[in-house]
Amino acid sequence: MFLLAWRQLCLDPARTFLTALALGAVIAVVLTLEGFEQGQYYQLARTVFNRQADLIVTQAGVSNLMAVRSSIPQLSREKVESIAGVVNAHPLAWISLIYEKEGEKTPVFLFVVDTKGGPVHMVRGNGIPKGKEIILNDSLAKKYHLNIGDPFVVFDFEFTVVGISKDSAALFTPFAFVNFDGMIDLFIETDIAPDLTTFPMLSFLLVDLEPGAQREAVAEEIERRVPEVDVFTPGQLAESDMNMGRGFLGPVMGLLVFVGYIIGLLVVGLVMYAEVRSRLRNFGVLKALGFTHVRLIYGIILQALLLLMISIPVGVILGLGTASFIHTFGPVYLIRWYEPTTFLSTILGSGFFAILGALIPLRSIRRADPMLAFQGE
Amino acid sequence: MMLRWAWKTLIRQRGGLFGSAGGLAGAFILVIFFSAVFRGEATQIVAYLENTRPDIWVMQRGVSNMHMATSFVYDWKADKIARLPGVKRVTPIVYLNTIVHAGDQDAFSFIVGLQEGSSRAGPWALAGGRSQLHSGETVIPEVLSKLSGVGIGDSVTITDRSFKIVGLSEETYSMANSVTFVSMSDLTDILSAFGTYSYLLVDLEEGIDARGFTKTIMDEIEKVNAMTHGDFVRSDFALGMMMGGEIIFMMTVICSGLAVLILGFTSYTQVMRKRRELAIAKAVGIRNLFLYTAVVFHAMVITLLALLLTGIFAIVFFPFISTLVPQVTLVVSIGDLAGMAVVAIIVAAISALIPAYLVSRLDPATVFQV
Repeated sequence: MFLLAWRQLCLDPARTFLTALALGAVIAVVLTLEGFEQGQYYQLARTVFNRQADLIVTQAGVSNLMAVRSSIPQLSREKVESIAGVVNAHPLAWISLIYEKEGEKTPVFLFVVDTKGGPVHMVRGNGIPKGKEIILNDSLAKKYHLNIGDPFVVFDFEFTVVGISKDSAALFTPFAFVNFDGMIDLFIETDIAPDLTTFPMLSFLLVDLEPGAQREAVAEEIERRVPEVDVFTPGQLAESDMNMGRGFLGPVMGLLVFVGYIIGLLVVGLVMYAEVRSRLRNFGVLKALGFTHVRLIYGIILQALLLLMISIPVGVILGLGTASFIHTFGPVYLIRWYEPTTFLSTILGSGFFAILGALIPLRSIRRADPMLAFQGE
Repeated sequence: MMLRWAWKTLIRQRGGLFGSAGGLAGAFILVIFFSAVFRGEATQIVAYLENTRPDIWVMQRGVSNMHMATSFVYDWKADKIARLPGVKRVTPIVYLNTIVHAGDQDAFSFIVGLQEGSSRAGPWALAGGRSQLHSGETVIPEVLSKLSGVGIGDSVTITDRSFKIVGLSEETYSMANSVTFVSMSDLTDILSAFGTYSYLLVDLEEGIDARGFTKTIMDEIEKVNAMTHGDFVRSDFALGMMMGGEIIFMMTVICSGLAVLILGFTSYTQVMRKRRELAIAKAVGIRNLFLYTAVVFHAMVITLLALLLTGIFAIVFFPFISTLVPQVTLVVSIGDLAGMAVVAIIVAAISALIPAYLVSRLDPATVFQV
């Protein structure tokens, strides 16, 4: 049966190629959807890990880095730094603002850094902002055609772009980085805040530990001696942010992926239906030769799976192209389908739906009469 | 004559017709779905604004949105606006965008701080409980209550504070921005924003022109921005849609490519199956133009059927999806469907190129092949 299924595919290479292309495109779309979802979670986790801290201190009761308000009393920094095993506690804050230029608006997460926590991957320019300097995410720079030395105006306050970073976006939102001097200047010169205490000037502390210090033990000690804060390892905080992302994106992406699989099912069904309809006489001959229904169905499923095998590399190539296309036009989005679990689940899902699709022309096979073999076309 | 032939061919293969239209519709649905998700979210983002509906919104200068924005306005500015002739009422709110922890659920939320005893700017539809808030109390969306299993009398956490649920509101949930109400004193305390509000809702006397009055406010009160209700809603809606604009465009391109392949495959199969009939047509002198018309007609019929299925699915099933998965709000606009129709016609035209090419190369001698 395998040989028969294979020869059927070789009979019309153009048709097989077109079919593989269509199926490959379905696989690429599902991979892209799955990769889009995974990419969002990865960006959330990366945001935490890119702060490059051994421990991250938040306001007590706050267990996320992104999308939440965290406010730590200024004195906490000193208390944290006095604990054995802690080398430094670098301050970090962020605010969300909306950048507007020529009528086009973009929400931006503005990270405020001091000695640590800035962008990790620079495309060009300086990675450490000073005074009225700002570092922009590449998608933001691209969207507004901004480059090093250009002004970046928010609330009538002018920053100067000194660097373009990449891998610095999450929740569909690009990041920008300034230092605390820049943020205070922004607040004071623009009246953005009537009272500076309104804004959390210290949201998080990025803790560096001495070599050999036990992370869990130091974290416990900080929480014991500084009760107004909670302490997390980057892994814990990343997991917490990813869970937040899953709650936010999971239901929608689940629906989209399901629709993707249904398209795959219909395409396979369509292919196999056309295949069976065009070979009804052949099936009649096979039945006349004593082939049972089960064997014929087995052959059709085998053919569908063979088609799928050919389509997988096509899908991978198309998926790579799609991810590259998305990254080119919207660098703020990350497509990450090459995670082994994501890739494997997509292939298994495609296989399941390919088998289901192959069963669509079941009725036509049953109706294939051995007498057809003797009829003219 | 060729059109009738094409039509009969299609009708005879109903399974193939509906299969290809179904596959094509799936690709179209993916595009519409993305658009509907972002439109639904954008609609929910402005749900609070739409339902409170003052004549004018006043905020800090340089701010023209509520979604992802931060605004602070001194309390004395609210008093000054309230004294302007033509102003019926000024209702201040304090606002924070953060996460509400309810049971095992984390929900992004607009946290709105309301003056105690005031019903203006509070929840507009209640599924249970009360809307009047005191310190330590909250009204959360009913959907969040169902998802998390916490209800009236239970507690939720906002930053480091615990709030007792006293009411459940309707029409206030979305995955990106649900609306949670607390007392102004609590939120002011969380924000350390004493003596300031976030936004002012200004209701005017009957007959006062809101647009003209925004200028009066900005002239009389320093460092504030005043926007008519319509302008403010449009500004936030546009921001919500903009956040999905790029991905909607990219998914449209990707799914259109998929649709071209599906339709191309169908047309190719049809032409290959009917190549002898087409060869006969060529042999009896029917010009290529008529044959091209037939294959284009074929592609168009399948595309129109796919569009019809997409429209039916969007109109009939999308509201049902929102019921099944309450986190997701799907809103389809006629504009989206019209845009999809334009894309579909382009898809049909491109797809028809494949069979047209095959037809042009078809040898009339094929008819004599066994």
